[in-house]
Amino acid sequence: MQAGESAEDQKPPELSDPEQWVDLHGDYLFKYALMRLRDPARAEDAVQETFLAALKGGKSFAGRSAEKSWLVGILKNKIFDHYRKASRETSFTDLDFYADEESDRFVADGAGKGGWIHELGPVEWSPNPGAGLDNDIFWKTFQECAGKLPKNVSAVFNLREVDGTESREICGLLNISESNLWVMLHRARMALRRCLETNWF
Amino acid sequence: MNWLTRTIHALSPNCREAIRLQSDALERPLPRLQRIGLRIHMALCIWCSRYSKQIKFLRTAARHCDHDREPKQGLPAGARERIKQALEAGKKQLP
Repeated sequence: MQAGESAEDQKPPELSDPEQWVDLHGDYLFKYALMRLRDPARAEDAVQETFLAALKGGKSFAGRSAEKSWLVGILKNKIFDHYRKASRETSFTDLDFYADEESDRFVADGAGKGGWIHELGPVEWSPNPGAGLDNDIFWKTFQECAGKLPKNVSAVFNLREVDGTESREICGLLNISESNLWVMLHRARMALRRCLETNWF
Repeated sequence: MNWLTRTIHALSPNCREAIRLQSDALERPLPRLQRIGLRIHMALCIWCSRYSKQIKFLRTAARHCDHDREPKQGLPAGARERIKQALEAGKKQLP
């Protein structure tokens, strides 16, 4: 097998069969959409629209993972369209979440003002954090912690950290300012870090 | 304090500022003086040093997000049926 090919790509090429799409890819697409849209009904609609658009596209693929990537691409665009539309109707800026930025963990005044209170500062994470990446319970914890982020902060975090979307594009998509984006990301990171530290490490 | 110590104190952020700078550094290059000040602080502060590693780990973990893995629950049964039916209807409308 060449690098980058999965076992499924080794099967003889088969034309895309829409009959099988829902069973082959439905769960994955739904989970992808649900994480980003946070609403099962919306997620279902997005997945349905994706399959219908794909049907019209009429492509065929030589492997399941290429087919899946193509469908994810269509879904991603549907989600972006949703964000663009939603951002015209409501604000994606959330400056309330975690606004105090754990102020109770920092020295309030005097010589050490603004420094971590030693017993309350970040602890050493062990085992080696990377080891968690293979662990199902780690992922469950991570998802639960990420799920606690409010909708708008979650959208920002997912776009930036999960999808790697550039800041400028996020700002355009969600109609938020760069400075607000950075505040939201900072607070999302603080909250997530704290949640993982409490619940996993 | 001698002038060097005073300069270091002036340059380096406190921890609250440092963690904000670390987050921003993941988004854009920091201005030079801020970058230097942050480095000085990080060399001296074990907690901020940990914080930095930890938020970078959050990025790594997020990038590894794998929808085949978690959550276990996928398409609800009703949704599955509705989508299949919509696809059936869609196929009939194809030229």
